Amino acid sequence: MKTRVVGQSLPRLDAKDKVTGRARYPGDFSMPGMLHAKVVWSERPHAWVRRIDVSKAEVYPGVVRVITYRDVPVNEYGINVMDQPVLVSEGDKVRWVGDRIAVVVAETEQAAKEACRLVQVQYELLPVITDPREAMKSGTPLVHEERTTSNVLHHVKIRKGDVQVGFAQADVVVEGYYVTPHVEHAYLQPEAGLGYIDEQGRIAVVCAAQWPHDDIHQIAHLLNLPEDQVHEIVPAVGGAFGGREDMYIQHLLALCAYVVRRPVRMVFTREESVSRTGKRHPFYLRHRWGATRDGMISAVEIEGISDAGAYASTSVPVLANATSFFAGPYVVPNAKIDGYTVYTNNAVTMAMRGFGATQPPVGHEQQMDKLAKVLGMDPVELRLKNFLDEGAMAVTGNRMPPGVGIKETLRQAALAAGWREQNGHWVKPDLGKPQALHKRRGIGVASAYKNVGYSFGFDDKTTAQVELTLERSGTIARVQVRVGASDVGEGVHTALAQIAAEALEVPLEKVEIAPLDTANVPDAGSSSASRHVYISGNAVLRASQEAKAKLAGILRAKSGESHVEAQHTFRGRSARPTTNYDSETGQCDPHISYGYATQIAMVEVDTETGNVDVLKLWAAHDVGQAVNPTMVEGQIGGGVHMGLGYALMEEFIQEEGLVRTRSFAEYPIPTAVDMPLEIVPIIVEVPDPTGPYGAKGVGEMTTLPTAPALLNAIHDAVGVRSERLPVTAEKVLMEMKRRG
Amino acid sequence: MPTLVMTVNGATTQLEVAASDLLADVLRDRLGLTGTKIGCNEGECGACTVLVDDQAVLSCLYPALKAQGQQVETVEGLAANGKLHVLQHAFMEAGAVQCGFCTPGMLMSAKALLDENPQPSEPEIKEAISGNLCRCTGYYQIIRAIRMASEEGTP
Repeated sequence: MKTRVVGQSLPRLDAKDKVTGRARYPGDFSMPGMLHAKVVWSERPHAWVRRIDVSKAEVYPGVVRVITYRDVPVNEYGINVMDQPVLVSEGDKVRWVGDRIAVVVAETEQAAKEACRLVQVQYELLPVITDPREAMKSGTPLVHEERTTSNVLHHVKIRKGDVQVGFAQADVVVEGYYVTPHVEHAYLQPEAGLGYIDEQGRIAVVCAAQWPHDDIHQIAHLLNLPEDQVHEIVPAVGGAFGGREDMYIQHLLALCAYVVRRPVRMVFTREESVSRTGKRHPFYLRHRWGATRDGMISAVEIEGISDAGAYASTSVPVLANATSFFAGPYVVPNAKIDGYTVYTNNAVTMAMRGFGATQPPVGHEQQMDKLAKVLGMDPVELRLKNFLDEGAMAVTGNRMPPGVGIKETLRQAALAAGWREQNGHWVKPDLGKPQALHKRRGIGVASAYKNVGYSFGFDDKTTAQVELTLERSGTIARVQVRVGASDVGEGVHTALAQIAAEALEVPLEKVEIAPLDTANVPDAGSSSASRHVYISGNAVLRASQEAKAKLAGILRAKSGESHVEAQHTFRGRSARPTTNYDSETGQCDPHISYGYATQIAMVEVDTETGNVDVLKLWAAHDVGQAVNPTMVEGQIGGGVHMGLGYALMEEFIQEEGLVRTRSFAEYPIPTAVDMPLEIVPIIVEVPDPTGPYGAKGVGEMTTLPTAPALLNAIHDAVGVRSERLPVTAEKVLMEMKRRG
Repeated sequence: MPTLVMTVNGATTQLEVAASDLLADVLRDRLGLTGTKIGCNEGECGACTVLVDDQAVLSCLYPALKAQGQQVETVEGLAANGKLHVLQHAFMEAGAVQCGFCTPGMLMSAKALLDENPQPSEPEIKEAISGNLCRCTGYYQIIRAIRMASEEGTP
């Protein structure tokens, strides 16, 4: 399709404000007469709270109020299940070190901090549950005895074909056990914000959020207020990556304003941001795959156990997603797959870039490499033989919808990396000489796919309003788009504005996205699931088209109106309805749309130190239609960053439920010098006919293949794999020594 | 309390500060220059980078009184007379800005580099921003922006 604005690498709408320092983030707001708040956190990962004594804190100079559970009208919240207390009650339990005992509100931040130390809590310690594999066993103490009779929060199973028959047909079988760690989102802007009573007497919260309208729903519930008495204002957001989908500060700000009736500011320290908020789920993955001599997968048996941490958060949908992707983007005739998510006293685990699609490729892509090795087949060729295609049956029994670009991502990445097709076979490139005798080069391939939009029957929808202001001549002077999509840094506002500009045939400069205040803009769901370009983009596109049709009517009637308004609610199920897992077979139609990805990494491993240098990385991503190619490349750079950290560096460590990695010094993320020396972004555009201008999604897919591509490259270089991520230099060296 | 006299973005500023006050807090809370960000408050992330007498410093660790009599430059001072600095232009064009929270610190580290070394090599650019963390971009578009700015030269 020929487009004018969609497909152009235009600068972001907010770029100028962000390079001049004018953009305001939640921590940049202040109000006259404002107070400061600090949280008293649980210092025990699992204990009964017998007594909370705030008497000393209350009389500390400057303290205005010490807020406890007694002040919370309805003391529960949670995005999926309301199983978390806002503030822990006497007689209830703390279940991890992110639980909150009290909030101290004072005239200065320093006074609030000092007074927090004076709150005395009497705990009765309980055994700390730290390993989900142990926690599953009957007889293990329960994290939530009030709700469940087992620590297993959820179990999903897929039964397709007959795995016994499939393994009997197999000429080769490969096995693997893969463990992925807790990962910190590490957005640069720590949680911060302001809570106050606005001029209409409503509770107002300024904060960073991914799904502001859902926050309002939860805040209204816990304050026992009608939803129109609470609103959230989302200014510039300093990154999210899933970590702001749950509430960590917004409900506390609302509660402070509700109790003290004055403006209250709260800013988390980096230590609080790292050690008291949710993480990516660790998974324990056990794989057994069979294939025939000609390289066709005949059976897979997979068990995946995730650590849900202390509260449910989105652990159930993350598990559901993960289970649907455990076997990768391949045709699998026979499958027995089990996924479990289990409560522990570790950090709450939640959404993080990929939402359960990031861990599976660590398993399925190392399995594919192992298969290629035993079959003596090129890893590119083996993947191409087994990939899903349009109309092919996925492991959940559904037919893949139009726009399956997985083959194209691998073909383009492989050709760019130097693979050749020769006599119907794929041949790996020569990697050249390493920079020193003790270094070894290797190259690794990984492919993956992921859903766009909410899955398993969830009603994924966005409402968008488009208002045109007209010149006297009837031409469009200005366009305002009102949509509750939070731009958390990925640039969704710019992408949606480009879609509106395209549909309305106006330059981008004429389009404005209304500031995000839940009181003024309609619900657009969360900035997650790589969904905004597809779901919210469809809503903006249709609202724009409706506005344009109205405008044509006005011009025909010469009625002289100066404004045109249109509103459209787009529902994912109007494009493709999805269904939930069948409880016995797991067969369903899980997802609305998909994004496809392949990355190839070339590494050089130092055999004396174990250090891994990433020389070059080719990243091919099928996005359907790039709305803004520079922004897509920005997603690729960021996704590779997170994937490289996942593979080689990052691990959030807890010991007996206590956090050992509490800062960037203890939890390093990749710097500019840790990144691949060169990255080659390859944008593949196999349109999804139901996407706006054919667009799918991109945000999360960019991080899926990076880790397994690196792991496969390290194996190619020095012949070792490590069971547990991250594969640090020490682990590479240890594995090499073990292998002799 | 001691009196701190410094020049901030070209304007002489005088205020009473405590000996323990840090430059980042003085800039943000006392002077309203919230463009300078605090990402960790322990010198690990670089978001608070500002220039003191042309040297990039971590203002979250820098005692405000150390800036006595010095020239302090923050992101708000980069654009001169309403005209964007060449680095600001390049960051916008190259897609170097996503969430933007690291951007002010990145810009100041980049300015310190280009002031000192107008034609840096790629490894020199990476080294210069290696103390500035970014979680969004993977740094490529930031590095490209700095290279573009160096090729264009200071306005």
